Amino acid sequence: MIPDMSQRGDGPEAQAPVQAEAPTVLLDRVSKWYGSIVGLNDVSIAISGGVSGILGMNGAGKSTLFKLLTGKLKPSQGTVRLFGVDPWQSTKPFGRIGFVSESEKLYDWMTGLEFVATMARLHGMTREEAVTESERVIEFVGMSDAMNKRIGKYSKGMRQRIKIAHALVNDPDLIILDEPLQGCDPLARTTIMNVIRELGAQGRTVLVSSHILQEIERITEQIVILHRGRLLALGNLHAIRSMLDQHPHSIRLTCDDPRKISQHLVNDDQVFGLQFETEESLIIKTRNLGEMHARLPALIRQSGIRVTGIDNPDDNLESILQYLTGGES
Amino acid sequence: MNEDGEVGDIDAEFLGEEGKAVSGASRMEAAYGSGDGDDDLTAQVAKTGVVAGTIFDTTYRPWRGELNPRWMRNWSILRHHLLGFVKKGHRPWSIWMKLALFGCLIGSMGDLAMAFLGTVIGDTDLYRLFGASRGNLYGHVLGFFPRNALCFPLIAALLIGGMISEDRRHGTSAIYFSRPIERRDYTAMKFLTVAIVLSILIVGTLAIYYLGDILLRGEGWSWLLDTFPMFLAAALAGFLLVFTYTSIGLALSSVSQGRFFPAVAFLAIFLVSKLLAFLIWQLFERSVIYLISPYDCIAHLGQTMLGISSSYDHPWTWSLVSILIINAIALYVLTSRVSSMEVTRE
Repeated sequence: MIPDMSQRGDGPEAQAPVQAEAPTVLLDRVSKWYGSIVGLNDVSIAISGGVSGILGMNGAGKSTLFKLLTGKLKPSQGTVRLFGVDPWQSTKPFGRIGFVSESEKLYDWMTGLEFVATMARLHGMTREEAVTESERVIEFVGMSDAMNKRIGKYSKGMRQRIKIAHALVNDPDLIILDEPLQGCDPLARTTIMNVIRELGAQGRTVLVSSHILQEIERITEQIVILHRGRLLALGNLHAIRSMLDQHPHSIRLTCDDPRKISQHLVNDDQVFGLQFETEESLIIKTRNLGEMHARLPALIRQSGIRVTGIDNPDDNLESILQYLTGGES
Repeated sequence: MNEDGEVGDIDAEFLGEEGKAVSGASRMEAAYGSGDGDDDLTAQVAKTGVVAGTIFDTTYRPWRGELNPRWMRNWSILRHHLLGFVKKGHRPWSIWMKLALFGCLIGSMGDLAMAFLGTVIGDTDLYRLFGASRGNLYGHVLGFFPRNALCFPLIAALLIGGMISEDRRHGTSAIYFSRPIERRDYTAMKFLTVAIVLSILIVGTLAIYYLGDILLRGEGWSWLLDTFPMFLAAALAGFLLVFTYTSIGLALSSVSQGRFFPAVAFLAIFLVSKLLAFLIWQLFERSVIYLISPYDCIAHLGQTMLGISSSYDHPWTWSLVSILIINAIALYVLTSRVSSMEVTRE
């Protein structure tokens, strides 16, 4: 058998021009299976512009989706297009893509500036262009002070930011970030989130994967939820939440005297259940989360009890998945 | 809430509150303990002068330049591998690698040094032993000991050791393949890197040896006309040797995930096949077994090209076919492994 060295086609210059009107990302009835295991099952998505969060638990198919988009996997079925071009067949779209992989592997012996400049040259920049543009993107991710330090000495957050910098150096129209916040401290998270929001505000298409709903929620309202390879939900997070509001929800109150405060809650028509979780916390069951949150401040004031915390224990991806799958997850 | 009755950035946001966007920011603040908190709580704070960090308000300034063509991208791969020998910030060459290469370069020039000595002290026998001649041009490239027993295979083994295997192990090939770099270009540039260094060592020193000898003796045109075809034949044999070392070496590098295995396997292929063939030849006095030894195949071809009496009793065409098959197998392994790097093809 002849090795498939033509996987990338005849080179970017020989390919048909990228279609200007095509969606940035298009997956049409795409499936990918690994032997008997289904990685992605009949997924159809079209995304152009803005930040989209790709949510899913481990094994949901996020990485498979990104590998298909970056030409590292060939779909078992269906069509994948980036800017109208098949990424498996052509390297042409990669000139317009910035990809931050989940992998931690970088060239640790290089400084941040050297690394980003080397990556810039892989796009065909001259030495001067590469250094100038590298400094630009390193400044953008807030790494100017550390750009002359070796990557091997960087913290996790700094490595993530330098990875984002190298993905941006070619001024990409599509930025794919695979778990960019994983393992980062709060400061690095906030910085990276600012970077992602700014890129989205520029009109670029940014795909960010995570398995933590709250992370994505801080970045974007447009989400794609994958579960066991299937596309479960696609669209505005608020719209998905409003669907969830029609189903039982929990609110946890942390306070000095849960039993006393329960007396003020038990007659509220939005409350259909109360549960004393610990000596200092109370779980309120409600069918209308929004309405219950609107009433809570008044009810708490009325009770005179000092409340030290309010949170939604089921306001997470697992709960949404449970709802969307009808409890199968 | 602020004076306008709007929810502030750090106040709690309630789901479903009319007209208010829910960003989730308050929950994240609570999760990280960086929100307002309770006024009664106390906290220990760092002394003045401690820089805790900065959260950046970022502004992206896009670059709208033109990306350059394929050859510039390929050049960047090549220079990344080669310039590490002399500059930081590129693929590093270990000090042992540099020392070994330097030692072999000096060692490869030993024949020129001896010819120089013979000329200077006027010892014609010494010059005859080491000066440029049909046999010595062959020996410079294809002499077995020490060049093809120690020097060249050792340098080739050190060069190919981590060339592809380390990309496999660390996953750094993904950095290349998420850019507009084709796999054939990636492979070709790796190949070229190894081939350039080996060419300098084998063919480059041959050229210096030949040129040095001309300058040393002040040879005339007739000598040049006599010996230049021999030099070209030796150079051609040298390039064939470089190509074979590189293709076999990179094939081994592409099937492994470390430096040790490809280097040792490379030395084993060249030296053990030679030893095995030698032992069988001693027993059965049939040189055909040397067809399994890549070095002997090239040596046989080199002897034919330079017009030296052959030490093998089988036709040189057999060696040609054998070396072509060996290289074809090596290139097949190399290309098929690189085409599957970072790729799952189930």
